Amino acid sequence: MDIKKTQDGSKLLVAVEGRLDTTTAPQLEKEFKESLDGITDLTVDFQNLEYISSAGLRVLLSAQKTMNKQGGMVIKGANDVLMEIFEVTGFVDILNIEGA
Amino acid sequence: MAEKRVKLGRKNRQRKLSVKISILVIILVAVLVAASIVIGSITFKDALTRQYNETAYQIAATAGGYFTEDQLKEYAAAVKKLQTEKLSDEEKEAVSSEITGNTRYQDVRTMMEKLRESTNANDIYIFLLDLKELGKYTPEADEKGEWQPLYYMMDCYSQTDESFTFGDRGSIVTKYMDALEKSQKTGKESDTYIITNTQFGYNITAIFPVKYGDQVVANIGVEIPMSHLQSDIRAFVFRVIMVTVVIMILALLISIFLILRLIVNPIHLVAMEAINFVSENTVVSEKLPTIQTHDEIQMLAESLLALEQGVNLYIDNLQQVTAEKERIGAELNVATQIQADMLPRIFPAFPERKEFDIYATMTPAKEVGGDFYDFFLVDDDHLAMVMADVSGKGVPAALFMVIAKTLIKNQAQLGKSPAEVLENVNNQLCEGNKAELFVTVWLAIIEISTGRGMAANAGHEHPGLRHADGSFELIKYRHSPAVATMEGIPFKEHDFEMKPGDSLFVYTDGVTEATNAGNVLFGEERLAEALNRDPGAKPEELLKNVKEGIDAFVVAAPQFDDITMLGFTYYGDNVTE
Repeated sequence: MDIKKTQDGSKLLVAVEGRLDTTTAPQLEKEFKESLDGITDLTVDFQNLEYISSAGLRVLLSAQKTMNKQGGMVIKGANDVLMEIFEVTGFVDILNIEGA
Repeated sequence: MAEKRVKLGRKNRQRKLSVKISILVIILVAVLVAASIVIGSITFKDALTRQYNETAYQIAATAGGYFTEDQLKEYAAAVKKLQTEKLSDEEKEAVSSEITGNTRYQDVRTMMEKLRESTNANDIYIFLLDLKELGKYTPEADEKGEWQPLYYMMDCYSQTDESFTFGDRGSIVTKYMDALEKSQKTGKESDTYIITNTQFGYNITAIFPVKYGDQVVANIGVEIPMSHLQSDIRAFVFRVIMVTVVIMILALLISIFLILRLIVNPIHLVAMEAINFVSENTVVSEKLPTIQTHDEIQMLAESLLALEQGVNLYIDNLQQVTAEKERIGAELNVATQIQADMLPRIFPAFPERKEFDIYATMTPAKEVGGDFYDFFLVDDDHLAMVMADVSGKGVPAALFMVIAKTLIKNQAQLGKSPAEVLENVNNQLCEGNKAELFVTVWLAIIEISTGRGMAANAGHEHPGLRHADGSFELIKYRHSPAVATMEGIPFKEHDFEMKPGDSLFVYTDGVTEATNAGNVLFGEERLAEALNRDPGAKPEELLKNVKEGIDAFVVAAPQFDDITMLGFTYYGDNVTE
């Protein structure tokens, strides 16, 4: 898994590539923990993400909760596989997913 | 291994060290003795030689006092005349005999003979050095006997018949040419020792220039033997060796004694204590603090002592940690047991109910897991079934599972619908959920008499359904979010109806995400395959088939997630065993 961050003032773009599962989720969680301070607009780019497991969903949920308090969070670029996972798990109701 | 080391330590090592040090001391002393002999001999020889040289010059000075200035000048002029002017033999004879025939010449000669005898000199002679002749030196001329810059005036040689007579010429040892020339020009005694070692013995010669005014009129040569020099030096060396050997033996004994006492014994003690510490199971040695040498050995002993104490501390610590680990392990075993006991595990679960059959299993990946299933009668006609999976694993997931399971059962037993149950449980779990765990839940409540029921799916896996005489299919539809994700969210529910003979299969992601060595997931297709191997089987058989399917797929790869399954078959009123 690869994480690329682009910050513009209080706007942060996080692009996640590869697989977000039990082994890689802690890495993303750490990134969020370190860089969400003072961010009001968080965009998570999943254009090159292949798979997300429940551990990955938990990290997204945690980030969503944090961002609910200090601004907003958008997920974009999710492919069909990811969309199905989001839908089946009901995460479409919780997360702000662009194109859903 | 330890025994061997002890033996080695007791015998060989101590001897080795002391022998090595002794050899070293002997070599050191021998080198010192050799050096002192060499330096002593050289100094001694120099001193003796200087002494001989001075004696020779004193004799020469004494001899010089026998002559008057006029006398010497006369003799010198005469020999020069003999050598430089062309005279006939008669004329030469006349010149010589005029000098030698004189009584003064003979008197002086007698005195010089006496002087030579009394001083044990080899030779006392008076000569004129012709500097012009001296400068004409060539090796060839010297070899032929043509180069003879010395003109003798008097010679009192110990072997009288070989003495030069007045007017004879002679050569000099070429090595001392420069020294001689210099003393001739300056009129001073030469700094160089003129030493000859020939068949006539080991001799030293003084060349004493007799000077009047600025001019050296003649030279007095005195040759004295240094025959005692060699034997004196030998005696000296012998004495030095005798004394130093005695000192050496004493020094050796003292140094070996000191080395044994100050170095070898303390080191040996340290080594033995180290061996004892290893072989006697970490008893801190009491002898180490007795080493008070105030040097590196004491440092070594203190370090070893600190090391021993550190090792013991570490061992104690390790024992505590190990004990703690064992305790935690034991507690985890109990926790596993408790968790297992929380799930209904006695089958058949409802032996008196013939309208349905139910069976469930859970295989945790770690000691305690986050998966759970549950089923219970809400009332006489309603059966609730739960399949759930807490995000994460281990103890935190297990604790969360306990709360979730209890809350769901409590809420369901109040007679609420699945969506209401999940909504309430969600709100309660969200309170203080700092760990941000959540739980996916499939909850169904079925009316046993009719086969109709309500189900809610909060982010859980798709249930498998089989109609009588058909095959299993996964029912896919849009789910609600998992429980405990966000406070206050609503949950969807839907109704369903089971006909007699229909079967239901629910599971956690441990089933579909079971992974083989090649990192391939078991997946929904293989699950359907396993289910449909014998779709009409009773729930217990059905679960066994799926487990066998998973095992055959995974082979030896380790299990990462809990594997939990529940099977339900509805018979209704008409089918009984």
